[in-house]
Amino acid sequence: MSTIVLDPITRLEGHLKVSVTLDANNIVTAAQATGNLYRDFENMLIGRGPKDAAFLTQRICGVCPVSHAIDSAKATEQAAGFTPSLQNLLLRNLIQGANFISSNVLHFYQLALMDYVQGPQMHPWTPGYTQDFRFNATDSQALINNYVAALSIRRQAHEMGAIFGGKLPHVGNVVPGGVTAIPSATDITNFRNYLNTITSFIQTTYATDVNKLASTYSDYYTVGKGYGNLISFGVFDTNTSGNKLYPAGTVTNGTIGSFTQTNIKEYVGHSWYSSPSGSNPASETTTPSFGKAGAYTWLKAPRYNGAAYEAGSIARTWLTGEYRRDVSVMDRHLARFTETNNIAVNMQTWLNQVVVGQNQFTNLGTPASGSGIGLTEAPRGALGHWLSVASSKITKYQIVTPTCWNASPMDDAGIVGPMEKALIGTHVENTSQPVELLRIVHSFDPCTGCSVHVMSPEGMEMSNFVVQPQGV
Amino acid sequence: MTASGDLAMQTLDQSATQYKGQFILVIEGAVPTGANGNYCVIGEVDGTHLTMEQAVLKYGPMAKYVVAAGTCASFGGVSAAGTNATGCLTASSILSGKTVNPVVNLPGCPIHPTVLIQTLLDLILIGMPSLDRSNRPSNYFGTKIHSMCPRKGTTVVKQLGQYGCYKNVGCKGPGTQNVCPSMKWNNGQAWCIGVNYPCIGCANPDFPANPLCKV
Repeated sequence: MSTIVLDPITRLEGHLKVSVTLDANNIVTAAQATGNLYRDFENMLIGRGPKDAAFLTQRICGVCPVSHAIDSAKATEQAAGFTPSLQNLLLRNLIQGANFISSNVLHFYQLALMDYVQGPQMHPWTPGYTQDFRFNATDSQALINNYVAALSIRRQAHEMGAIFGGKLPHVGNVVPGGVTAIPSATDITNFRNYLNTITSFIQTTYATDVNKLASTYSDYYTVGKGYGNLISFGVFDTNTSGNKLYPAGTVTNGTIGSFTQTNIKEYVGHSWYSSPSGSNPASETTTPSFGKAGAYTWLKAPRYNGAAYEAGSIARTWLTGEYRRDVSVMDRHLARFTETNNIAVNMQTWLNQVVVGQNQFTNLGTPASGSGIGLTEAPRGALGHWLSVASSKITKYQIVTPTCWNASPMDDAGIVGPMEKALIGTHVENTSQPVELLRIVHSFDPCTGCSVHVMSPEGMEMSNFVVQPQGV
Repeated sequence: MTASGDLAMQTLDQSATQYKGQFILVIEGAVPTGANGNYCVIGEVDGTHLTMEQAVLKYGPMAKYVVAAGTCASFGGVSAAGTNATGCLTASSILSGKTVNPVVNLPGCPIHPTVLIQTLLDLILIGMPSLDRSNRPSNYFGTKIHSMCPRKGTTVVKQLGQYGCYKNVGCKGPGTQNVCPSMKWNNGQAWCIGVNYPCIGCANPDFPANPLCKV
């Protein structure tokens, strides 16, 4: 029996540690995923006006801020009994869609690909593992070239989203009442030009590369499944009656079912919190308690009907039927590509419906009291905000993020989280270079928070290299 | 970086040791000091945790320059908001008296990428830029947004969502210094006021003010 600790796992957002126990055959028998950052967002919002939450919750993550803004706006709108018009929903879709594309492209090329391809022989691509690289020199070079091209594409996706959102990350105008941008004809042409370039990249380069990865590492279709249960809160409204491009739902033991948010409970038996365990977010609180006996993470354990569910592209595409092969490391990459293409295609449709020069925003007053829930999907999966207001101020705010579902710890019943489950049963070929573990973790596209960066002089060259002349 | 786990931590330490006195440490996020710094752990080596607090205190003094990237690292920001339950300190406060050169504050939420990269290039090629009283490069933080705002002189609106000047609906532009009206965001595509919402003062020492925009 032996242990492997990976702390930190890099090439993800925030601070994640993974610790696994191996048997004599180097097969993982136990796994613990630890989130190593706590910032107290939920409590910090108490006493603020609800509108501010649409700005502040974006700061939870610089890769998926739009989804937080939308959830926050929706929760306040629900508390106020308000539904924004279709024009507002279209603009939200376009900004959120741009954010999705940027995030998914970044994930495949910058975050995941280095587990499979030898990078340039300089910092920060070295040092790294050298275990199990299968691509020949030509293919490796092509993938690295596309890694560089992807940096430009994901930057352009954010430029595209900023046309209507003001800036990315942390948009300036997605608030209760809608989106304040008044689209001009130039905006729409500009947006469309970006979308065409990006769609072309997705359909040629990204398509080629993800399929190349899948065929070269096809054994990873049988690695890292986890439980296979999937959950989605639904995203991309196509009308004002709640119709969505990706509807909400669940997949339990292969069976598609509905989703009802009251069936969510969060457990903290193994999390650094002294607040009560097993509450639905509408009545939940958060009291940090580092060092609590038996706890090993800042993540709570969200459960749906008592079971652990995985969120993300795989859940969304399963429910629409556009990807239903199976759940595994490689299936997650294929599902993520599939939806990226589908989102880009649908963004053309939404863009064509945007009316030029129309001010569609409603200056919504602050609800004096009430509660509301905002549910959407972030690129990484199901995202929910639960809000209560009294005397026009927030009295309660609870957030459940997709990585909370995926990198969840063991719950009070002893059930481990989806990522932990996905790690168990994995054979590690070389315990000093456990690349299998990285590949499994990265396939979930985990996200947690802020960090310290050190740049060596070689790193400086990397910075210069990234700062391309304007327009590239 | 590509490496994870022990390999990543060793690389961090070796880089700092090998280039002691020559590297730039960029700190993103405020530094939590509560719970012995355990609100943010950046890694471990041989089973020993390294908290962000420990990392900053170890590597900050070894650096030639320390750059606080973003409002949290510069002034506390969202990380220190509310009751500051995690005991967050700014980079300059936790490193007070411990660094070779003053900590350079680059506030903004997020930091404007051109400001960050240009400041790093300035530090490498020229040396310390001229800093104001809050240790921000005067070149980027010397002008109030309002003084450069294209909406100045346009109709002062009474409610959100209309085109015009937002100073009567809580715009923080008059009191905030940042590059937004000139550089804009995302390769010059847009900026907050340009999409018809007031500035929320994300580069200010008191960000996030409560409320963000006082009407």
